Amino acid sequence: MVEILIQGAVSSAIYALLAVGFTLIFGVARILNLAHGSFYALGAYATYLLTTYDWPLVPAAIVAIAFVAGFGVVMERVLVRPMRRRSLLAVLMITLATALAVEQLLFLSFGSEYRNVPALVSAKYTLFGVDVAGQRLLTVVAAIVLIGLLWLFIQRTRLGSAILAISQDPEAAQYMGIPSDRIFSIVMALSAALAAAAGILAGPFLTVQPTMWLLPVVKAFAIVVVGGLGSIPGSILAALMLGYAETIVAYMASTSWTEIIGVLATLLMLIFRPAGMFGKRAAF
Amino acid sequence: MNRRALDTVAGAPGRMANPAPAPLAHARPAGLLGDKLDMAGAAVFVAIMVVLPLVLDNSYLLGVLSVALIYALWAVSWDFMSGLTGRENFGHALFIGAGGYTAGFMNTVWFIDGWWSIPAAMVVASVFAIVVGLPTLRLKGPYFALAMLSASVIMERLMLIFWEYTGGEEGINGVEPLFDSPLSFYYFALAVLLLVTVALVMLARSNWGLVLRAIRGDEATCQAAGLNVTWYKIASLLISGAIAGAGGAMYAHYQMQVSPQVFTVVLTITVITMVYVGGMGSVWGPIGGAILLVMMTELLRDFGEWRLMIYSLTLILILFFLPEGFIAPLWHRFKAWVGAKR
Repeated sequence: MVEILIQGAVSSAIYALLAVGFTLIFGVARILNLAHGSFYALGAYATYLLTTYDWPLVPAAIVAIAFVAGFGVVMERVLVRPMRRRSLLAVLMITLATALAVEQLLFLSFGSEYRNVPALVSAKYTLFGVDVAGQRLLTVVAAIVLIGLLWLFIQRTRLGSAILAISQDPEAAQYMGIPSDRIFSIVMALSAALAAAAGILAGPFLTVQPTMWLLPVVKAFAIVVVGGLGSIPGSILAALMLGYAETIVAYMASTSWTEIIGVLATLLMLIFRPAGMFGKRAAF
Repeated sequence: MNRRALDTVAGAPGRMANPAPAPLAHARPAGLLGDKLDMAGAAVFVAIMVVLPLVLDNSYLLGVLSVALIYALWAVSWDFMSGLTGRENFGHALFIGAGGYTAGFMNTVWFIDGWWSIPAAMVVASVFAIVVGLPTLRLKGPYFALAMLSASVIMERLMLIFWEYTGGEEGINGVEPLFDSPLSFYYFALAVLLLVTVALVMLARSNWGLVLRAIRGDEATCQAAGLNVTWYKIASLLISGAIAGAGGAMYAHYQMQVSPQVFTVVLTITVITMVYVGGMGSVWGPIGGAILLVMMTELLRDFGEWRLMIYSLTLILILFFLPEGFIAPLWHRFKAWVGAKR
């Protein structure tokens, strides 16, 4: 029972880190970013690469996150922005093509074998009689801290208000003199950084290989549909639901069936409540 | 809505759809001269495809061409649904894989004659089309594209997870070929492709296809005019899925095996790239895209691992510089040139 609670919290934490960024960039810039999983993969790989050059883990992780945030900004500027003027589907197309290009790049430079990202905390702890790897606990704590910081940033700063304003009414925000292009870049950087952090935190206990971007995108989409496209509280709640549902199924039935839950939830939600639990609300 | 009004809507740049009107324009029935040229072009193409294997008499090239024909079948079926309605399907591999595994199971587990697997594959793929299309196609926004993507990814995972039944990474081996000679299969695939393309081009040029293009232009107006937009979209997804499923079954019988490869995003992207190269919304253009890209892949064989990279970069470049594609617009320019000479 305690195992389910802890394991579910770890899955939920990773899902929340991924889904919050995914839904944020959609809510603000209407970019549905299929390359979101690539940020996750690039974060893990960049950290791996730096640690092979004997960098200590913490600076390696920080540089990796900064690099991925920069990659996200460049991608938004160069590839996504021209497509945004065309249509939502052109954006989907270009981000999917980018994701595949990144996968191939990782494959060509690192090969298809699994890579090891070192764990920040290698100790094991015993919580209520259950052994838990320290890295997993760190993941949960870090996810809470990072999402909390994001919440403070959006609620308490001028820039955050601008982000909120654009997500509520892009046109009115522009009339108020909010530079939406610059805000999109900032949001893209935030979203990429969160995904990269998820990749670095989960890297030690999940598989790091070139195709690792795909399943997180599918999960993030399921979460965002259930939570409501563009709603961050919705996506946090849905991340908890998916994380725990998968863990419960894995313990009660078999791990074989966990992958279906997301897609099943997506289809059922779209049948009964397409707007999601918190649909049509502003970002926070 | 009458045909005139539909024509107007079909040509109108939409909010959701690709505003480039050119692919819509050339999908419309051309004048008499244009029709004659289309017929002549098609006849030349068919003649080349019929004679080519006889002239070359090279089993390696015959294999490449056969695969190109199956890819063309997938690309044409993708274009019929997504090119006409503008609802991009990011999981065509779902139908292809469903068809392929249906053929694999029927042939190697239940020992049913190979010819039954094509109709069975069409039925199974249609079921998938309904399951994913029904909840998502009635909604605006990206739900359909993403649900198709998710479904195909999850099916790929399931094929790996339930390896006791599906053979896992290896897939199902020992699927019987449909024909004894590869040449017969080539002509069979060519015949199927021609039949499907003629049928779909005729459908696309009928009032039915006009409605599909009108949906791409302005869905809300179509709905306001009392058209059951969702029904049209689901029906075209069914047709598209069934054909892709049949292609998947043919592919399984041709390769004599199916593996989770048929469910991958890479396959979907390959098919979409072929459509983009051929020219979206023309239905026949993707055939050229498929043949061109399969040939290119063979030429790039020495680059091995770089192949997929080149595919994704091709797609990015086409999205930027040739959003209307390459082959269909070229043909229309040729027709305009001939028309001007008259």
